Amino acid sequence: MSLSVKHLLGIKDLTPGDIDLILRTADQFKDVLQRPIKKVPTLRDTTIVNLFYENSTRTRISFELAEKRLSADTINFAASGSSVSKGETLIDTVHNILSMKVDMVVMRHSASGAPHFLSRHINASIVNAGDGINEHPTQALLDAFSIRERLGGLEGKKVALLGDIMHSRVALSNIYLLTKMGAEVTVCGPPTLIPKHIEKLGVRVSYNVRETLAWCDVANVLRIQLERQNKPLFSTLREYSLYYGVNKALLDSLNKEIVIMHPGPINRGVELNSDVADSKQSIILDQVQNGVAVRMAVLYLLAGKKEEALS
Amino acid sequence: MSLLIRNVSISDPLSEHNGRKTDILVRNGSIVSIGEKLNEKAEKVLEAGHLYAGPGWVDVLADYCDPGYEHKESIDSGLKAAAAGGFTDVLVVPNTQPAITTKAVLEYVQRKAAGHPVKLHVIGAVSRNLEGRELAEMMDMYHSGAVAFSDGWQALQHAGLMLKALEYVKAFNGIIIQLPVYASLAQGGLMNEGEMSMRLGMSGIPNIAESLLVQRDIELLRYTGSRLHFSGISTPESLALIRAAKKEGLDVTCSVTPYHLYFTDEALQQYDSVYKVEPPLRTEAERLLLVAALSDGTIDCIATHHRPQDWDAKTKEFEYAQPGMTGQETCFAMLRAAAPELPMTRWVELLSTNPRKIFGLPQATIAEGAPAAITLFDPEASWVYEGGEKQSLGVNHPWIGKTIKGRSYTIERL
Repeated sequence: MSLSVKHLLGIKDLTPGDIDLILRTADQFKDVLQRPIKKVPTLRDTTIVNLFYENSTRTRISFELAEKRLSADTINFAASGSSVSKGETLIDTVHNILSMKVDMVVMRHSASGAPHFLSRHINASIVNAGDGINEHPTQALLDAFSIRERLGGLEGKKVALLGDIMHSRVALSNIYLLTKMGAEVTVCGPPTLIPKHIEKLGVRVSYNVRETLAWCDVANVLRIQLERQNKPLFSTLREYSLYYGVNKALLDSLNKEIVIMHPGPINRGVELNSDVADSKQSIILDQVQNGVAVRMAVLYLLAGKKEEALS
Repeated sequence: MSLLIRNVSISDPLSEHNGRKTDILVRNGSIVSIGEKLNEKAEKVLEAGHLYAGPGWVDVLADYCDPGYEHKESIDSGLKAAAAGGFTDVLVVPNTQPAITTKAVLEYVQRKAAGHPVKLHVIGAVSRNLEGRELAEMMDMYHSGAVAFSDGWQALQHAGLMLKALEYVKAFNGIIIQLPVYASLAQGGLMNEGEMSMRLGMSGIPNIAESLLVQRDIELLRYTGSRLHFSGISTPESLALIRAAKKEGLDVTCSVTPYHLYFTDEALQQYDSVYKVEPPLRTEAERLLLVAALSDGTIDCIATHHRPQDWDAKTKEFEYAQPGMTGQETCFAMLRAAAPELPMTRWVELLSTNPRKIFGLPQATIAEGAPAAITLFDPEASWVYEGGEKQSLGVNHPWIGKTIKGRSYTIERL
């Protein structure tokens, strides 16, 4: 079994078979991570560079840990403090790194399509670790893995994506993935944070958080992208929190228990209250843990190694 | 220099020879004689084959980047590209460095273009230093030969300034060119707002960013009774507003680019910055409405919006890449591919008759004694756009290295 793609640029390019393969491979890596020795020699002859043109804590650490668990050699690169701050272009930076015999590139970038652009100029496999407001494919994969783990599958499950849909690469990747795998999706938030034409992806649109929570099995609460607020998209954080925030009182008023997810980092008290984030309903830390297994699966499959190397 | 073109089909509604297949003799820049089987000698003789001859084409809007950005294009390379694309006359935008906001810069540009067979006409800036705040010395530039006024790639946002500009140019029957985009509605947008931008995770520029400024400017035009030309119209909403304003009798005209007639936002699926243009490429449904407006009289002219870029400026993340596409050399091929059914005589109106009328350039015609402002075009010719066939310094055209069908050029290229 192998993936239909050379790079993981976005969920948009994956087939349901690709997604299934990644999730099943991640199952195996999750088992590996429960062992006393959490490391496999699978990628010991592979060098991976983590190129982070945008800040990241969770994703960068998660990729790095996944690479180390696979025995790959890793190089970490952050745009600040590098030649990028001296004006070096993306292509130059990457060519310089690749000339040192690097096999794979994991890249986060603030511009949508940056990894697609890079894929036309280099031969190494690229894993998109988030590009602008476009996609964050490994996040969607680990979200799917976590839903599947908690609810037993994806097909027919009702998933709500709450909050800033417009600026969220997590939202777009989740929508592509969930609709491909037969889940139902509703996006919910202030109208100014919901992109036009989103319903063409086969999702429902709602502006009412209570109704949406009452409908769903899983609510994936998205981060308000404070750093992207260059346009007036809503009035105040206070008003946002009052009318679009998720808190315990709201959840308790529903006649069912839904699963709460968040890709992090949380703006506590804005989109999600601590009484929910740290509750039993929340699988936020499972998401983080699963992220390593899912990223191991992605790197392993893109490296094109034989399956027996797993054992 | 003398040139004899044999068996060429004349496509010129203003000429008594329109529709005929005949010979043309050109000597020292003038058409000396026209007739079948001319018994004349010439230094060069061309057997025309599928070739048409028509009055010289005008490119309503191009950027030669000179002075200031000569590594992208120079006046010399730009005018060569114009000749290679069949243009005998070109209007250039003032978005140079320094910008063409005074007679001094205007005369520098004119001096560099002097003696070239393609005539360069300057569009002077409306606002001082293209800052959009105070009027530039438009009257002085007019008297030095500026044919129109515009802030070029930077649409005039300020309603009060636009009103004053429209009024000011009435003293010399001048015309303002607007490339309409409302900055506050386009803010942060990288491509057309639509299903494609949503799928690609890119910020969109809605149609209303264009049409709202068109609407505003038409109101200002009605109030001032001046003359206004919109260039690079890309939305059906704008076309409807312009159509209605024309019906009302306002002096408004517009042009479209070849690439808006041919490409759509689906070309952006790989985030290839060669398709990053302003205004953005729209949808297929909207493209078809633009093509339809070529024949119903709403669209008056073609403006290539030739906007050359160097490799470094374009080979970047989409968001950071400079906008624009070149377009003079491939104009005819792209127009033909976009609207193959449109009759040749309509192309002649769009490319020659109308722009000459609107911008006050002398009419060109295929007649004995007339200046040899002739464009030759061959809808069947195949050629590869690269090497010596490419005169523009710009690297930003999706057809570079590709085989193209349809070709046009001026007689100087022979």
